[in-house]
Amino acid sequence: MNNRNLLAGMTVAVLIAPSAAYADSFTMWARADDSTFMTKIVDAFNAGHADKVELQIVPTGELVQKYAVAAAGGSAPDALSLDLIYTPSFAAAGQLEDITDLAKSLPYFDALSKAHLSVGTYKDKIYGVPFSADASVLIWNKDLFAKAGLDPDKGPTNWAEIRADAEKVKTLGSDIYGFYFSGNCGGCNIFTFTPLIWASGGDIFADNGAKSTLNSPAVKDAVAFYQGMVKDGLVPEGAKTDPGANFFAAFATGKIGISPSGSFAIGALNSQYPNLHYGVTFLPGKDGNKSSFAGGDNFVVTKGTKKIELIKQFLDFAYSLPGQTLLAKNGSLPVRADIAKEALAGLDERYLIPAEAMNVGRTPYSVVFNDLINSPNGPWNTTLNNVFFSTPDAIDQGLADGQDAMQTIIDQAAQ
Amino acid sequence: MPAGRSRGLPANSPPAPGARVYRRKRRSWAGLIYVLPAVLLVLVFFVLPLCMTGWMSLHNWPLLGESRWIGLGNYIALWKDRGFWRALSFTAYYTVAATVGLLGVGMALALFVERPRPGVGFYRTAFFLPVVVGFASASLLWAWLANVDSGLFSPLMRMLGITESPYNLLATFTPAFWLVTGMVIWKMSGFYMVILMSGLQSVPTDFHEAARIDGATRTQRFLHITLPLIRKPIALALILSVTGSMLAFDQFYIILAGGPQNQTMTAVYWIFNQSFVSFRLGYGAALSVVLLAILLVLSVIQLRLLRDREDGR
Repeated sequence: MNNRNLLAGMTVAVLIAPSAAYADSFTMWARADDSTFMTKIVDAFNAGHADKVELQIVPTGELVQKYAVAAAGGSAPDALSLDLIYTPSFAAAGQLEDITDLAKSLPYFDALSKAHLSVGTYKDKIYGVPFSADASVLIWNKDLFAKAGLDPDKGPTNWAEIRADAEKVKTLGSDIYGFYFSGNCGGCNIFTFTPLIWASGGDIFADNGAKSTLNSPAVKDAVAFYQGMVKDGLVPEGAKTDPGANFFAAFATGKIGISPSGSFAIGALNSQYPNLHYGVTFLPGKDGNKSSFAGGDNFVVTKGTKKIELIKQFLDFAYSLPGQTLLAKNGSLPVRADIAKEALAGLDERYLIPAEAMNVGRTPYSVVFNDLINSPNGPWNTTLNNVFFSTPDAIDQGLADGQDAMQTIIDQAAQ
Repeated sequence: MPAGRSRGLPANSPPAPGARVYRRKRRSWAGLIYVLPAVLLVLVFFVLPLCMTGWMSLHNWPLLGESRWIGLGNYIALWKDRGFWRALSFTAYYTVAATVGLLGVGMALALFVERPRPGVGFYRTAFFLPVVVGFASASLLWAWLANVDSGLFSPLMRMLGITESPYNLLATFTPAFWLVTGMVIWKMSGFYMVILMSGLQSVPTDFHEAARIDGATRTQRFLHITLPLIRKPIALALILSVTGSMLAFDQFYIILAGGPQNQTMTAVYWIFNQSFVSFRLGYGAALSVVLLAILLVLSVIQLRLLRDREDGR
């Protein structure tokens, strides 16, 4: 490069420098499970705005630990797309910024997912707003239904129908099973088993998570329903020790008639198993009705960040119709009920079922969710694993012990 | 004073007391500088983390949020922690099973490959190969082999007529426990084979020849000549196996997730759960200090037993 070119380059650099200096950015972390839609939405925002989001994808299982270490060292990101069930414990630990004013200033605040907002609220202040969503649903194999003489276009609508359909599918062969669930996975069962209880009028917690109600009639009924199917051989042997590895994969083999699953399965089945014909319906209660676990992420902001205005810009974009459409196309349900149908237009029609399920979706509230529910060694998972695969007379004692164990952890955390 | 001395000190005569002290001091400083990198490494990577663990154990130290001094509160709490003591008792049970298996199989393999003969290189390599596989990889491999729906063990058992229907090895305690212990023996016995083989090869052949002439049987020679002479390699293998087994975690976490019904929860697994599932780092640190103390006592006992025998007492 000769001197004249160098001088010209320096002049250009000086001329464009002021505009670059005005651009600002904020840092955001997201878990690897969300990498597809998080990357897309951040790229779209960065392409259309002078201000930028610096996204870092963190391995899902390490996000909490990494965030804690970064927070202790003063290098936490400005914002975080956080598995919504962690919002109460993060807020209780004083890590998050109160964003009540920001949330309530959004004109579509009332249309945002209520379940997300309920776990995003701690002591009447909002610390997390909905960002991505995943609802639980029931899926059935249409080909196996047809072979078993069932109507392939009609999914079961109550427990008796699930059982009857599963029995018919089981008659198709020794390696074909009527029903599948991951029997050693707390996270899978809070997502797909609790809705059966909710839709039957029961719950596993009372008093906003302060009381465990595991030993209650609706829970007993639901456990007896699963246990009966296990005892009668409608569920494969491997379900007992499945820690979630086959939560999706078992149904994808094409040898399972019915399985509770999540909205994520629609995209995954369509892209990875295009020849598998399946239907999607609501998770029903004992006598009908419907419910769902409202999963996904809350958007939270680290306490003390100076980038709140910039963060609001990004949220506005994510909540806009193009933002919600982009999320829907890449694996997340819309979190704004008022534009959900528009955002899902043109996509697989089966997405409308989980989108509607989100409206009745619930998320349990607990500051010790990880200890109680997610941990493979926690009381939720060990209790269910015990009662699902034992005998009917063991249910009462098993659930009573489980309730005591859960209550002990809740009480310890409250001290 | 001899005449020679009055004309000056010879080159090799001892220096004056002051100079000697000075030189000794300089030498000790030089020595200190030489070992300083090693000392620093030990301080930074061993002593400091240990002190930090001790310090944390005296606090209510959550993963998120502020820590608070609680003195011996965590240590008092752990006395009442039935889960920890249950995990510790399971760990001791596993340690005995794994150590007997590892040393037994390791010794059998060592005797098999001790002497040079055709093909012995192949056997030594084959037996040692699993050692170079990481614990996590080996655990994942065995978790798959034991999977009742997609693995190999269940169909194999049916083919051999051991079971009539698919058998889930991971569903009940006894098969699950022996599956994991079997995996550890498969993976690690090659390592103990090498330690014990080096001991066997150091036993002078004259002793065996003399005993053979005196009419000693093969078993007598092994019990009365070989075993006493390889006490040191056996002690090394014993300490390594006991320490490693008391710290077992990966295999139980990956293959069984502590199941069925938390019956295969090891002490380290319990500490991991307290620290990174319940986010109680201070309590996890207190449990670690107690486990360290237990390991220290176990190692001292093993070393003392060995020393006593060596001295013939």
